[in-house]
Amino acid sequence: MTQTNNSQSLTSQPKLANLGFGLGLRTEHYQEILNNKPAIDWLELLSENYMVAGGKPLHFLDKICENYPVVMHGVSLSIGSTSTIDKDYLRDLRHLADRVQPAWISDHLCWTGVHGQNMHDLLPLPYTEETAKHVAERIGIVQDYLGRKILLENVSSYASYVDSTMTEWEFISLICEQADCLLLLDVNNIYVSSYNHQFDAKAFIDGVPQNRVQQIHLAGHHNHGDYIIDTHDTPVIDPVWDLYEYAISRLGQVSTMIERDANIPPLAELVQELDIARKIAEKVQAYNPSAVRLPRHIK
Amino acid sequence: MSNLEQIQTDFQAFLIDETKGAAFKSRIIDDAKVGAAKRLGIYYDAYRFRIIEALATVYPKLHVVLGNDLFDKTARSYIDQNPSTYRNMRWMGGNMQAHLQQTLPQYPIAAEMAAFEWGLSLAFDAEDASILTLTDLAEVPLETWADLKFVFHPSLHLLPLQWNAVQIWNALDKEETPPAIAKTNEPCLIWRIGIDLHSGLNSHFRSLEAAEFSAIQLAISGASFGVLCEQLQDNLSEEQATIQAAQYVSTWLNDGLITRI
Repeated sequence: MTQTNNSQSLTSQPKLANLGFGLGLRTEHYQEILNNKPAIDWLELLSENYMVAGGKPLHFLDKICENYPVVMHGVSLSIGSTSTIDKDYLRDLRHLADRVQPAWISDHLCWTGVHGQNMHDLLPLPYTEETAKHVAERIGIVQDYLGRKILLENVSSYASYVDSTMTEWEFISLICEQADCLLLLDVNNIYVSSYNHQFDAKAFIDGVPQNRVQQIHLAGHHNHGDYIIDTHDTPVIDPVWDLYEYAISRLGQVSTMIERDANIPPLAELVQELDIARKIAEKVQAYNPSAVRLPRHIK
Repeated sequence: MSNLEQIQTDFQAFLIDETKGAAFKSRIIDDAKVGAAKRLGIYYDAYRFRIIEALATVYPKLHVVLGNDLFDKTARSYIDQNPSTYRNMRWMGGNMQAHLQQTLPQYPIAAEMAAFEWGLSLAFDAEDASILTLTDLAEVPLETWADLKFVFHPSLHLLPLQWNAVQIWNALDKEETPPAIAKTNEPCLIWRIGIDLHSGLNSHFRSLEAAEFSAIQLAISGASFGVLCEQLQDNLSEEQATIQAAQYVSTWLNDGLITRI
């Protein structure tokens, strides 16, 4: 299989281009995106949905890639699993990357199953040095195979292990240092997990290696009182917007997008919601110009 | 087994069967606010809800036919017996027809509805292929027709249905009152219209008579046009059989089922 044209050296500067403000690509919006070319800077596609033989998904994806920069986001890499890395999955991932030429490829800092099974959930890892070493080694294998650095996303979690010996952000930092990978910071997930586990969300943002944060996710969730479930089926709430403002005031401007996976509204609503992120970025730029770098398109 | 491997093995065992979760609960930090049991319960429930939702997406009319409660019960027993080995939940429903034949044998329409909807979902993202047209075939010299073999579109599925699942599906799709369950013995073809023929790329289906079903089965298996004619001669004269075979091929071409010869 050929290497991707835009694969970057693994020893290059940590961060890639800032793409601006994007949305998750959803089937409900294919036609409108192609017909109206809405003001979205880039789109994130769910890798597994396009690891298919043919038909509508790839047909529309090819057309969309002609018009928008895209990034690939997966859910089944299972980077933290103790089972063998699925080479067929990696092969198909690279094949898809060859086809769509994404600005980058991401997945989650979690495990999804062992012994050949997939629980289709982003299951939490115990935050230990043993786990960090294990995950970092596997990231190395994946990055070597793909010929590029990958982004890993912090997940929302509902349970903590008694085995954990450090905070989630210390765990993430350790992995980044050992694996030399990039981060997809999900600000909503930080909020959800900080609520569920009673930690300071700002400490999380302060604690991760900021020069490795390549992308930010924003989404909605459901608050059940004692705990929050991450559902991606509602608009982003104000406290998460506040946390986003805090994040970019610390990190500088980072490619930002809204993830909506269920209860999908008309595209115009999401484009409007994305404007909130743009306004926050402008506001941060006004009071802290050094923190914000203007977006530049790579296409 | 490493500590991490043990945790993952036990966590997964709990998700699949919570009765195995008692020991694993001790690996989770307990607290007064939510509690370890409830925290693990979130994962236990989410595992099922997520897959039930994926099954409902692949089997929307089966869901209607069974109703919420029976669909939910069926999906849960399906999940228990078919832990996913797939990277995408979209592929999880492949054993539903067999599962329904086992769990609801008194209600055979359910298994056939599942077979039909699974066929639609397979056609949706099957491999692309360009379509042969009548004009392409007109260039073939008549004397070589007997040896002609046909390659069919990768999205094509043949279903030997006994019940009127397709008619019920159609009515539900048009939000009309579905017909009563009845035995029709009408087989069905499912395929996707290729890009070259139309721009739709949608899954299509049609019922067909037993004779055409046998003929297309034979053609798919690699039989030549001449063999098709011979088989049709069981019930027709030689001339009628040739005309009938030519009509079938013409229909298959118009439907966009044949990709090359």
